[in-house]
Amino acid sequence: MISVTPSDPDYPSRLRDLTHPPDPLWIDGDARVLATRSVAIVGTRRMTGYGERVAREIAGACAAANVMVVSGFAQGIDSAAHRGALDAGGQTVAVLGEGISLFTGTVRGRRRLLVPRVRAHGALVSEYAPTFSARSWTFAKRNATIAALAEAVVVVEAGERSGALITADDAGRLGRSLFAVPGPLGSVASVGTNALIARGAARALVSADALLDTLGLRAPPAISAPTDPILEALAASALDADAIRRRVRITEDELADRLMRLALAGRVIQTPDGRYRRCS
Amino acid sequence: MPIAVAPRETARSVARVAACALWGLESAMVTVEADVANGLPSFTVVGMPDAAVSEARERVRAAIRNSGFEFPLRRVVVNLAPAERRKEGTGFDLAIALGVLRATGQLTRDADALCLAELALDGTLRPVRGVMARVRRAILAGVSAAFVAPENAAEAAALGADAFGFTSLREVVEHVEGRARQAPSPMPRPAERKDHPVDLADIAGHETPKRALEVAAAGGHSLLFVGPPGTGKTLLARAIASLLPGFDPDEAIVASAVHSVAGLIDPERPLLGARPFRAPHHTASHLALVGGGSPPRPGEVSLAHGGALFLDELAEFSPSVLDTLREPLEEGAVTISRAGATATYPARFTLVAAMNPCPCGHAGDPAEQCTCLPDAVDRYHARLSGPLLDRIDLRVHVPRIAYEELREDGREPSRTVRERVIAARERMTARLAGTGRTCNAELSVSEVRRHCRLAREAETLAAEAMRGRRLSARGFHRVLRVARTIADLAASDEIRTADLAFALMLRAQA
Repeated sequence: MISVTPSDPDYPSRLRDLTHPPDPLWIDGDARVLATRSVAIVGTRRMTGYGERVAREIAGACAAANVMVVSGFAQGIDSAAHRGALDAGGQTVAVLGEGISLFTGTVRGRRRLLVPRVRAHGALVSEYAPTFSARSWTFAKRNATIAALAEAVVVVEAGERSGALITADDAGRLGRSLFAVPGPLGSVASVGTNALIARGAARALVSADALLDTLGLRAPPAISAPTDPILEALAASALDADAIRRRVRITEDELADRLMRLALAGRVIQTPDGRYRRCS
Repeated sequence: MPIAVAPRETARSVARVAACALWGLESAMVTVEADVANGLPSFTVVGMPDAAVSEARERVRAAIRNSGFEFPLRRVVVNLAPAERRKEGTGFDLAIALGVLRATGQLTRDADALCLAELALDGTLRPVRGVMARVRRAILAGVSAAFVAPENAAEAAALGADAFGFTSLREVVEHVEGRARQAPSPMPRPAERKDHPVDLADIAGHETPKRALEVAAAGGHSLLFVGPPGTGKTLLARAIASLLPGFDPDEAIVASAVHSVAGLIDPERPLLGARPFRAPHHTASHLALVGGGSPPRPGEVSLAHGGALFLDELAEFSPSVLDTLREPLEEGAVTISRAGATATYPARFTLVAAMNPCPCGHAGDPAEQCTCLPDAVDRYHARLSGPLLDRIDLRVHVPRIAYEELREDGREPSRTVRERVIAARERMTARLAGTGRTCNAELSVSEVRRHCRLAREAETLAAEAMRGRRLSARGFHRVLRVARTIADLAASDEIRTADLAFALMLRAQA
């Protein structure tokens, strides 16, 4: 772990846009990643299956265009974004709202498995000393750092009072391009993002291309696959086998066969509750 | 000069009466030997009696006196042979009393029967647990008559023994002496197959869950339903009772014997007519679930032997309790070891479980939004240990169903499905003839290799699945067993691609 101060030449220059740049900034991982092209993908902890898929897809598209993904390593959308970038072979930076050692020592569950992957293909960074414990205000300050580290900020899903909306405000103040992913009306997890779009604070993100376009990048041509009706049926949310069959109208045997082939190809996965979720 | 006391003509120096000891379902004939000799008056029971057997002395002494006989004021020694294993319970009272009466000449003939009852102080015979297993042992040992309390008579008669239900010690003596002979109890009819409270025709929609239920009932595979509250998981699970094939007589006897040990038998209709369906509450302790205590009693897994064990709200069970299910799921039996006693109970059951998809219950529910944090959902699923989930072959989502489906007609009644289940079971039993096992879930690894032959196209899918899903060898064998059952339901000798794909689809990845 190293620490850099604003006077250091390695200090991430984008952070100097902040009124109070982190001093020092603690970095665990590859410090050079912080200087590369980057997009922040943030959102609520209480994500839906839709939000998870979109976060993964956008992160994957960024990774494919060699754009680093910044996020906050929280549960939900943040983790999905880190994971999406790593799974696509890209780099990612996690900005923590507490000390790095404290976080890596206490985090549990699936995020614990994510820590070494982030360290190996990017970095964990924090503006707090390694053993500093989180307070309510540290996360708000961390959100500004996320916005500053990125050239564009994408809010995937955010509730009415989600912390991701603070990141969105900071992005506006810092002059970063701000995108929000439109969600279904009435979905609690999309109230905040839809509101950002409605008041013109954010552009509606309808494809990863538009996002990369603002960075002056072109998305690599997607591998054009013939659209599968099963994948189409799974676009909005994970479904159980009967629901898929009602939408696609095929026999039970055919459905089992095609679902299994999609699963083996990595296009869908089965959730722990026995439903099917689209991966890409 | 010693005074020679001439023994009475009819008295024997040592009397022998047949009894039977029980450890779990394991039983052994016990000879109760009684010796009455000169000396200071005393009454001793030797041969590893436990507390209840030792206390028999007081009951026997009072019962003999209060039945109008005389308890000898001499040195009485009763031995339970073979003496090396601990004997438990109150079932030896009658045998001890008859032994003492025989040794003192108050009974002039040998009681040529298994004697199995507790004595009240006034000489009344009281019922005991586990009569069925002991009578079965006695028949095998060539003792075809049984003297029991009236409440146990039907149970003893159900196995074909000449069962005599006596109300008192006096009646037993009158019968043996031939002064007032009683007729043996008639063989009871097996309990009638009840109408099942839940029929598949009552359940709307849920095509895949219903099919999974059919596969589970046919092959004995374990099944987990996951879905929001109120979508019918419990109803579906309860419907399995209406799909299970009938009992064959041998299976019924073993299952009834377990219930008899637990004291859960209908005294009039001791033989179970339908396969058991047990649904313990999620607060159950591991003693309640797998059995235990001293003496070891059978738990729910053994009471469900031959039938289904339903665990509703699976994630609410204590994780350590659920882990104890691994042994019965793998071995089909439970061995309970206590200081001085080991009991083995059979426990081959079809596990049906149900749980919510997340702590709030609404993940994936279109009607209501889930309010759980992702880590909380992960923790909820982590309550089920990997080894247990690995042994659950079928994991099916039970969604909230749409109104159109509620009205839908032409639902299949349980009767039709049950016919398919029975036909598939017949194919399985024929395949497993002579092994004592009856369904595909019990196929050994070598049998899987022999019987689960894949069609050529299915072979490629199997290879891909092994690679792509990183299935363990055990996981793959479990998939093959399920695929075998699906093919059996379709009366196919070969496992076709569709069968394998459906089996893979029903086995969710963790």
